[in-house]
Amino acid sequence: MRAKFFTLIALIALTASVAMPHGDKKHVIGTLEKINADSIVVKTSDGKSVEVKLVASTIYVSHVGNEDKSAQLSNLTVGDRVVIHATPNGETLEANEIKFSSKSAQGAARPKR
Amino acid sequence: MSRSNVILAVVLVVAALAILAAASLLHNGLSSRATPTSFEAMLARNARHLAIPAQGRKQQNPVAASPDNLRDARLHFADHCAICHGNEGTGDTLIGKGLYPKPPDLRAAETQKLSDGELFWIIENGVRFTGMPAFGGNHGSQEDSWKLVRFIRHLPQLSNDERLEMERNNPKGPGDRTEENEEEDFLRGTPVQQKHESSHPH
Repeated sequence: MRAKFFTLIALIALTASVAMPHGDKKHVIGTLEKINADSIVVKTSDGKSVEVKLVASTIYVSHVGNEDKSAQLSNLTVGDRVVIHATPNGETLEANEIKFSSKSAQGAARPKR
Repeated sequence: MSRSNVILAVVLVVAALAILAAASLLHNGLSSRATPTSFEAMLARNARHLAIPAQGRKQQNPVAASPDNLRDARLHFADHCAICHGNEGTGDTLIGKGLYPKPPDLRAAETQKLSDGELFWIIENGVRFTGMPAFGGNHGSQEDSWKLVRFIRHLPQLSNDERLEMERNNPKGPGDRTEENEEEDFLRGTPVQQKHESSHPH
């Protein structure tokens, strides 16, 4: 009984925090429709336009053939196929990683499997 | 006010706070999704410090920070550590965010100011009452742990190419591989049915 009492007291002393839900990552897959200064807009296969914010920590990866290569925002062009891993932040999505392939690279790629 | 009245008032205030805290605890429960309070973080840091013997703290890293050693450690980290710490060491992973306490950001000053001996001791012996296991003993060699210490020092300068190499070496389940293959197919130009915004818990 005493042990339970002290355990409860210890828990009370250590627990003033509130459970915060963590946002799951989102994947946005589609064709690059628009490039803005701080965001891009992706047209998904169901016709929706999804805006994703670009942040300082966003990583750009160019997918050429079967290889992923480090890239930059300036390498992105409208019409590229993109796979974005993003984190919801309120009503917006912030891009963690943008993997893309240009139209020319899509045709030149060899089948992997 | 007499001394006994002051004591009584203090006892009543403490009891009222305890009742409020207990009511909050019973109502909200104890979720590992919560963020530890600064008081808890301070207690945990001190407990971790006390858990490491003085001799351990002073140990010097016998492994050189050579490209080969860093690559070994990078792939080792990708395979063993990234599931909680993330390839960049941020701890921003599904498992990391679900732990209590959360894994520290290994790039941050709080971790980087630990000595090489302290980092090595933590890798080898783990941290009690946290998600950090002990990797010493039968698993691998101490040399591997020293290499990991070198890699933790390198984390703040991790390049994008290094991160991509780590991604290729992260353990993946069948679901992850299927998703990765579908994404690669899409990037290669293969028409994919209903590929759009989707949730993914990682």
